[in-house]
Amino acid sequence: MEPKPIDWEKLASIIETHRTRKWNLIPLLQEVQETFGYIPPESMEPIAEALNMSPAEVQGVVTFYAGFSLKPKGKCVLKVCRGTACHVKGSRSILRFVQNELGLQEGETSEDYQFTLETVACLGACFLAPTMMVNKNYFGRLNPTKVSSVLNQYGKSKEDDGSP
Amino acid sequence: MESIFLTINGQKVACLSGDSILIAAEKNSIPIPILCYHPDLKPHGACRLCLVENEKTGRLMASCVTPAAQDMVIQTASPRVLHHRRNIVRLMMAEHPESCIVCSKGNHCELRRIAASLGVGDSGLYPMPNFPSYEQMNPFIIRDLSKCILCGKCIRADHELVVAGAIEYNHRGFKPRPATLYERPLEESICTFCGTCVSICPTGALSVKNTAYVGTPDQETDSICGFCSVGCSLSMGVAGQKVVDVNPSKSRASVNGATLCVRGHFANDYLNSPARLTRPLVRSKDGEGKSIHAPAAWDEALDAVVMKLSAIKREFGAGSVAFIGSSKCSNEENYLFQKIAREIFETPNLVTLSYDTGQALAARIDARTGGMCRVNPLAELEGARVIVVVNADPGRSVPVVDYHIRRAAKKGAALILVNPWKIELNRWAGAWMRPDYSRPSGPMASDFLLALAKGLVADAGYDRGSVEQATDGFDAFYDMISRRNGIAGEAVDAAVRLMKNQKIAFVIGADTLCYPDGAQTADAVANLLILTGGIGAKRSGLFVLLPESNTLGAMDMGMMPDHLPGRVRLDDGGNIGPDMEGFIEGIESGRIRAAYIMGENPARSLPQPDRVAAALKKLDLLVVQDILYTRTAAMAHFILPGAAAAEKAGAFTNLEGRIQMFSPVVQPPGEAKADWEILAQLIWKMGHPEHYQSLEKIRQEIRRLVPMYQGLGSHLQGWIANNPKGGKPAFAMDFPPVSVALDAAHPFIARLSAPRHHLGGGTRTGRSERVRAYGDHGAVEISPDDCRVLGLEVCGKVRLVSEFGKIERSYVQSSRPPKGMAIVPMGENQNDAMGLAGLSGKNRPASFGWTVSRVGIEKI
Repeated sequence: MEPKPIDWEKLASIIETHRTRKWNLIPLLQEVQETFGYIPPESMEPIAEALNMSPAEVQGVVTFYAGFSLKPKGKCVLKVCRGTACHVKGSRSILRFVQNELGLQEGETSEDYQFTLETVACLGACFLAPTMMVNKNYFGRLNPTKVSSVLNQYGKSKEDDGSP
Repeated sequence: MESIFLTINGQKVACLSGDSILIAAEKNSIPIPILCYHPDLKPHGACRLCLVENEKTGRLMASCVTPAAQDMVIQTASPRVLHHRRNIVRLMMAEHPESCIVCSKGNHCELRRIAASLGVGDSGLYPMPNFPSYEQMNPFIIRDLSKCILCGKCIRADHELVVAGAIEYNHRGFKPRPATLYERPLEESICTFCGTCVSICPTGALSVKNTAYVGTPDQETDSICGFCSVGCSLSMGVAGQKVVDVNPSKSRASVNGATLCVRGHFANDYLNSPARLTRPLVRSKDGEGKSIHAPAAWDEALDAVVMKLSAIKREFGAGSVAFIGSSKCSNEENYLFQKIAREIFETPNLVTLSYDTGQALAARIDARTGGMCRVNPLAELEGARVIVVVNADPGRSVPVVDYHIRRAAKKGAALILVNPWKIELNRWAGAWMRPDYSRPSGPMASDFLLALAKGLVADAGYDRGSVEQATDGFDAFYDMISRRNGIAGEAVDAAVRLMKNQKIAFVIGADTLCYPDGAQTADAVANLLILTGGIGAKRSGLFVLLPESNTLGAMDMGMMPDHLPGRVRLDDGGNIGPDMEGFIEGIESGRIRAAYIMGENPARSLPQPDRVAAALKKLDLLVVQDILYTRTAAMAHFILPGAAAAEKAGAFTNLEGRIQMFSPVVQPPGEAKADWEILAQLIWKMGHPEHYQSLEKIRQEIRRLVPMYQGLGSHLQGWIANNPKGGKPAFAMDFPPVSVALDAAHPFIARLSAPRHHLGGGTRTGRSERVRAYGDHGAVEISPDDCRVLGLEVCGKVRLVSEFGKIERSYVQSSRPPKGMAIVPMGENQNDAMGLAGLSGKNRPASFGWTVSRVGIEKI
């Protein structure tokens, strides 16, 4: 399955609102990331042109920050916490379980662009350990059953799409 | 800035406030090891090798980024500092491949040198090789990033010195590497292969490809680059009497600093080409009666040349002998050459190949500015607040000038372009005026420049008092310019706003006179310079982007039909010789019977090369003194092997007016001799009383006769002088309307321009193995609009047909040329592109000169 095609007009209008202000690179990239779910690689050249930078410099910033991705991400981005507190509480098993359930390794996206699996160093919610985030929602005190139900909850919309 | 005092290693030292500890130590000859620091780059603090200890606080800090403070007590090599420094190097070595023995960085590797000096041999750590290396297809640069220590010098040089933006750090943590956009190989990025990063890299991560020699050269000697008119200082590495490596010179007084361009860095391997001439050759017949070039002894060849030239002069008169000098040869050589022509042969027939594409323009501007604008340091261009670029693509013709403009633009200078085509500098352009020569009524460059003058006058955007003082006839100019119907438009208005009440640096392309309004364009630029008070001012100047290393020097030495040495203009009707076209016509009509060509290849570099070659074949005597067996040399009766700049001593005058002396790096190949020695022998054999046995003797004579060249010879560098008699710039008043006639059979304009890796016709660069391997076949660039009209697909071949000839080339769709114009690269395919242009252009009013031609384009 192909990721959603890029809405070039929308991209152009985002770029236009930030034009010629070099210090706007990061807000601009955030807006693109927010809107498209990733930074389309083809957008780096028009962004650089608008801010009078070289495209390689834009790429340097994009690849530096974990918050920006050059690859399309799934509809649901799972961030499994691998911080110390969660580790002590067994987050390695949680991660393995998620990996098995989704058939994904860290940093991978499912073929139907439903799930992306990531790990983070700490979600700052140690009192909920072991924990993970799906998009902007936290799920704490995880165990395999709970993870299954969360995945089902987010996987459901996939079935609704009618895709195989 | 005030002085501050601190103690380093127990020694009281002084430095200026704002200096870093590293600079304070350097000023006082206290060594601190560095890897990521470079004096031309902003301090970065990446390598941490320059750690020093503050005795008072016990803190360790990177001295390159820590400002020195009053009463600091610093230790640069305390046991603690050394312990940490060693550990840093050990960690670097643990990540570094153990390939020193085959690494071409050899003894230039700064990492190895520092490791040795700190006593780090085996790192004693588990090796952690960091990255698979990958091979690049380009013939210039090898990137082996497994040897990268992330000092960021290549990236910073790319951003701060060359301002290209081809590479940047990507990723973070353990992963970062310098990378191009989309992490593609260099040849698919915007990299121009200037090689600045290669020379600045402290390890073997970046190295030169296709070297005949891997390792440290036996010795390194400074020289001046013999390609374009920037005159970069080179440091040439020699092994076994061959130049094997070229880097920017470490001299702090160079034009180029740490930068170079693809030609200077990589194309000097032509010096070792098998086509080099190594002994005098004389045309003779072999056993079967076939005409061949047979080797001869120097004395034999020179005696024969002297005898035959004299015989032709005796028989047909002085005007029957002609001399073509060279913008590639030194001042001394051109001086002697014109002396042979004028004094010994009493002929007015002397010219160089860059007369039409540079010297005539420089002379015109010199006359307009009263000889008061001869010195234009590039430092002033870099410091300029407003830069106007006219008819030029400095990024391809003179890349190091382009870096100066880019650095100025990056610092915020306003850039105004008057160019039909788009160039890389357009990225910074505050205003872009686009002349259009493909339509009869299209605006021309001079129209825009006159409109700028009109706008400045109308807005009172100049200092009237000082202009009136500096020139005569301002009122007449004021009337003339105010009454003109200038073209208006957003770009003109924007440009006038940027130029108002500013000192402005003007950059003008060498082939400006090849356009129908070329003379007017040159005059209008000179007018703007005078109007804005730019003559002799800081942050200003007029930079003529001359084509070759000594175009200006050859002109100053009188190697020009209408000027004597020292830019003394000959009166009209006097002994003014023909220009290049008149020259060829003279041979065709039989008036010129003999030609002596030094260091030029007219049968390749001139327009209508076949006509030129046919003419040269007609000569009773053709003597060619050159370094390569060229198409022209192949037709010669006598070939005298000369020497390239790296193989002799001499002086070039660059486009700034800087006279740069150079000494030989290697001996000329075989029996070849420095060109001035050949000429001196000829003069002696002609029975002339002067015997020029040393270069200094020639220089003395030049200093005596040419007051503007007092700076020649005494130091490594000097400057030419402004008009010693004192001149007054004068406004040009005569701007007759120019119109371009339509030509239905040839509706397009072809602009012939050398790509970055070739200089001019590519006689020398075409002999560089690396440039040949680059395999750029010189695709014609055609605008998308024209591609649509012509029904051209994404790629394919086209035939370009002009009045003078036709060529077949592949093409690419490109946004660089405007509608109606095709950009045709010179230098490729034996420079066949020159076949499109006409020799006569410049003298026919309102027509195109050597580098511009009307063409028809057909799809094949």
